[in-house]
Amino acid sequence: MNQANIEVKHLKTPKTGGKDAALFLFPLIFLSIFFYFPLVSILNEGLTNETGKLTLSHIIRVFSDPYSLRVILFTVEQALLSTAASVLLGLPGAYLLARHDFRGKSIIKAITTVPFVLPSIIVVLGFVIFFGNNGVLNRSLMAAFSLENAPLKILYSMKAIILAHTFYNFPICIRLVSAVWSRVNPNIEKAAQSLGAKGFRLFFRVLLPQIMPGILAAAALIFIFCFTSFAVILVLGGGPKYSTLEVAIYRFAKVSLDLKSGSALAIVEACLSISFMYLYIKLQKRVSFAEEIKLQYEKKSLGTILRSPYGVLAVLYLFITFILIIAPMLAAGGYSFIKRSGWAGGTSPTFEWYRKIITDISASAIAVAYRTSIRNSLFFGSITVLLSLPLGTTIAYITTKKRFPGRGILEAFAMLPLGISSIILGLGYIKAYQNLPVDITGKWYAIAFAHTVIAYPFVLRAATSVFRKINPRLLQAALSLGATPWKAFWRVELPLIKSGLIAGATFAFAISIGELNATLMLYNPEFTTIPIAIYRLISSYNYFAAAALGTVLMVICFLVFLLIDKIGFEVT
Amino acid sequence: MSVQLEYITKRYPDFFIDVAFSADKGEILTLLGPSGCGKTTTLHIIAGFIMPDTGKILLNNREVTMLPPYSRKVGLVFQDYALFPNMNVFGNIAFGLRMQGWNKNDIKKRVHELLHLIRLPKYEERIVTELSGGEQQRVAVARALAPNPDILLLDEPLSALDALLRKELRSEIKRIQRELNITTVYVTHDQEEALAISDRVVVMNAGHVEQAGTSFEIYNRPKTQFVAHFVGITNMIPAQIAGKDGEITLLKSQEGSFKVKFDEQLEINTEVFLVIRPEKCTIGRFEAKSNTVRGEITGCEYLGDSTIISLKMKESTFTVKLFGPMACRIGETVDVSFSPEDCWILIE
Repeated sequence: MNQANIEVKHLKTPKTGGKDAALFLFPLIFLSIFFYFPLVSILNEGLTNETGKLTLSHIIRVFSDPYSLRVILFTVEQALLSTAASVLLGLPGAYLLARHDFRGKSIIKAITTVPFVLPSIIVVLGFVIFFGNNGVLNRSLMAAFSLENAPLKILYSMKAIILAHTFYNFPICIRLVSAVWSRVNPNIEKAAQSLGAKGFRLFFRVLLPQIMPGILAAAALIFIFCFTSFAVILVLGGGPKYSTLEVAIYRFAKVSLDLKSGSALAIVEACLSISFMYLYIKLQKRVSFAEEIKLQYEKKSLGTILRSPYGVLAVLYLFITFILIIAPMLAAGGYSFIKRSGWAGGTSPTFEWYRKIITDISASAIAVAYRTSIRNSLFFGSITVLLSLPLGTTIAYITTKKRFPGRGILEAFAMLPLGISSIILGLGYIKAYQNLPVDITGKWYAIAFAHTVIAYPFVLRAATSVFRKINPRLLQAALSLGATPWKAFWRVELPLIKSGLIAGATFAFAISIGELNATLMLYNPEFTTIPIAIYRLISSYNYFAAAALGTVLMVICFLVFLLIDKIGFEVT
Repeated sequence: MSVQLEYITKRYPDFFIDVAFSADKGEILTLLGPSGCGKTTTLHIIAGFIMPDTGKILLNNREVTMLPPYSRKVGLVFQDYALFPNMNVFGNIAFGLRMQGWNKNDIKKRVHELLHLIRLPKYEERIVTELSGGEQQRVAVARALAPNPDILLLDEPLSALDALLRKELRSEIKRIQRELNITTVYVTHDQEEALAISDRVVVMNAGHVEQAGTSFEIYNRPKTQFVAHFVGITNMIPAQIAGKDGEITLLKSQEGSFKVKFDEQLEINTEVFLVIRPEKCTIGRFEAKSNTVRGEITGCEYLGDSTIISLKMKESTFTVKLFGPMACRIGETVDVSFSPEDCWILIE
């Protein structure tokens, strides 16, 4: 070959820029209007004075006003205590799951998904019914020891908040820590033993440092959940004495209608929760970078620990945790089949509450009929799925498949809704659309869009993980066999990501159907959802009707949980 | 020419690809080189996943440089097989045919035919993830061949398999390739595999072609130090041209003077390397092997079928490979002999 005869031409890569831009447009527009605009409105409200000038005086007042300062301190205090209690209660369970094999282990493992799916209002309901002054536990104790008065006064106190948070969150600790624990290379422990380490020294010097990243990640996640917890505080705290930031913002927005103070508080809360989220992501990365190994512990049977000196403790632990998880839910289920004649009268079994749900009769406490609230919830759930699925999938596609400068910024941009609590989002909607010709608060689509913003990060996460799992060579193989990119997507990629998308969509549905916070900020009585109805019924002490609606919600969530468990979606 | 790459270049921030080679109809051409030398990138340029900055690609005299992968008619086999996990064996092999719009009966017939070709008859309904590595690789080959591509591209197709299976599948691929007489580009980093399977070998290094030639040429007549090292020649003695005596070129060096059977005319005193394969040397003096050099034994490894003896000469180190066991004492000084026909001169 003679070089002079070869025409060397410079080739241009075919342009795909146009299509990519269209792909970016949908998430960009949606998030700008329904997340970033409300967020900026809060910033604007909290950082300007009445004449529109920039000022830090509202923020400074948050830190100088004794009330808001007490709220901040209490928020941190209850979150720290709840986290400590959840981690301590979760660690033995993590150990049992990581190092033992026993019948029913897969069920216990599956139950650790419950906190991610179970709406907080159900926890509240179960607690009121089970631990209430007139609740199942007190009544049983009174009957057993023939007492005159309720022996346990748990509700409407710090105890109730910590207990409910612990119930809600200790399975998270079990889940995360047992995953890390079972990945620890067993040969390291053997090496330490052969070098003379045993007992506490072995645990603290060798084992604990290895599972510490898992414990810290779990603690960080639980802390975030408790820090932004709303329903538990609102109901079980029982008053201004036990107000957290979330509850205080809610009261500013809906009770005293002071949006300036609410916004200033929201800015402070958002800064804190985003920093905690950042910390959690850092810790989580350390966990996933932990050594991946094939070696596994030889799992002992549960019998070995039951026969050991600690056997009694193990049985006690399993019993307590099981009761703690199951009893409130069982109590709620049981209450739904009971009615009471008069305030202190006897109880009798009944299907009345379910009959009311079916025949569409409303209670005075809620503005719409029971059946309508169920219909509303299913409606918002469906809209949320329909919106969050394309939203999450598109962003996941862009961030996993495309390489471009600033991808990290886009990812952060898309994940920020996880760091903003739903109360703040609701506040943002109220503020953002206050001065516009169309006031969207109280409209059905405001609730649907808020639910979408809250739920889509979970679709994004599910979609990202399935996109990452696809071998890029599968697509190349399809292309080399004559499939156009579009056909390759439909025939190869889509069938492979389908299950992940279903899991994400199901999760989004569960989030929407259990959502109380943003809905409470935005709803008008016409759009009462199941959680709102339950909240209203609890507030008016109609626990039986609340239990019936709660049972319906639990059944829906249980179906969601079964589906997610079957697909095997990693919720954390 | 069935495959022709003309002055293909591709610039990356930290890497530059610059290749040109061609293969005739029915040939197997191997791209051989260490990992990171650009051979897979070159293959992806042929397949159309990477657009070159300059140059031309012709398949069966049809220019495909600007065509997307799905219009190029190339069959591609990956190292990790990349079978579609959501389809069974039939679905995988039929995929390309469906893309071309074949009718059902023809697809059935063609898949059946291919399963016979790869000697996995009645495998249609099998789930691909439950096949062994070797079976998966055969199915991957059948899938690539199904739509009758102009060219078959194989990207390290055997490197995920164990040694025994590798040899078996190697000859199997060669058989199928001969049977169909399909032009094939085969990427590997294993020189033994390359030599065994190819008609033509292109040795690549750092994005460019070091040497292209037949297996024999690459093995026995390396043109660069890199190629010599890569095909397992460890003995390189720096030397100068001292003269010529008919077919024989005379060399002088620190280690003594040598005779090499080398046709080219080289100027006196040109700096060259004398190269000789370890297995062409013997320990001791022999009349027929007129080159001799003395060295001290520094190491001795018994490998079962052979013994590797390391030696230290005056300046260079040297390796001798003897077949069978050999008793050797470290520190002993011995003669190493080799004949002029087995040597080669490397000019750099």
